[in-house]
Amino acid sequence: MIKVLFFGPVAERVGTSEAQVTFKAGMRLQDVRDQLQAKYPAAFEIVCFAAVNGEHVRDMSLPLKEGSELVFMSKFSGG
Amino acid sequence: MKEAVRLQQEDFSQDEEIAALRAGSKRMGGIATFIGCARDFSEGREVTQISFDAYGSMALAEMNKLREDAIAKFALLDARIVHRVGAVRAGEQIVFIAAGAEHRAPALQACQWMIDELKQRVPIWKKELTPEGEAWVTPHP
Repeated sequence: MIKVLFFGPVAERVGTSEAQVTFKAGMRLQDVRDQLQAKYPAAFEIVCFAAVNGEHVRDMSLPLKEGSELVFMSKFSGG
Repeated sequence: MKEAVRLQQEDFSQDEEIAALRAGSKRMGGIATFIGCARDFSEGREVTQISFDAYGSMALAEMNKLREDAIAKFALLDARIVHRVGAVRAGEQIVFIAAGAEHRAPALQACQWMIDELKQRVPIWKKELTPEGEAWVTPHP
């Protein structure tokens, strides 16, 4: 399984802070984004960044591994 | 002694943080600090409380990297970053940044650089609570 976390305004629009996506061989970051965007379109309107296992990722073609932790994030507003 | 980089719910003491910073070196000729506070007014509305959500593990890792980057970039002797999460009432402290260097210029420059970078790099989100309801904050450039 792939664990997907949501925080702040994205979590509010998704309605939960965590989701599971079934891992498939050859799966890429963009595949998970497409799948979740179709399910939660309002949340993904504000998604600007993605992280895989706690690291910023800009290349959406990044191959995923079983057990990866993904986060789709809106612009930060700390400080 | 407390860690130099922390995410915490409770308030912090700038006196304790500065004392911890100074304890590391007697060569420190300049210390610059920044404290971000919760305003009671924003976008034309009264704000009673701010609630912070964070991707904790990544936020802490990014804050540690930010401190290390600042130390290297500005040749600091030490630096500290503390950010609160959870509920912060209007008027309370949110974030503390300190930079200690041999001279004032790098300390001042590093302090501003760290808070600017923190806003760009650290996954923390704020929600303002007002008498009219709650709203997540959209960042300004």
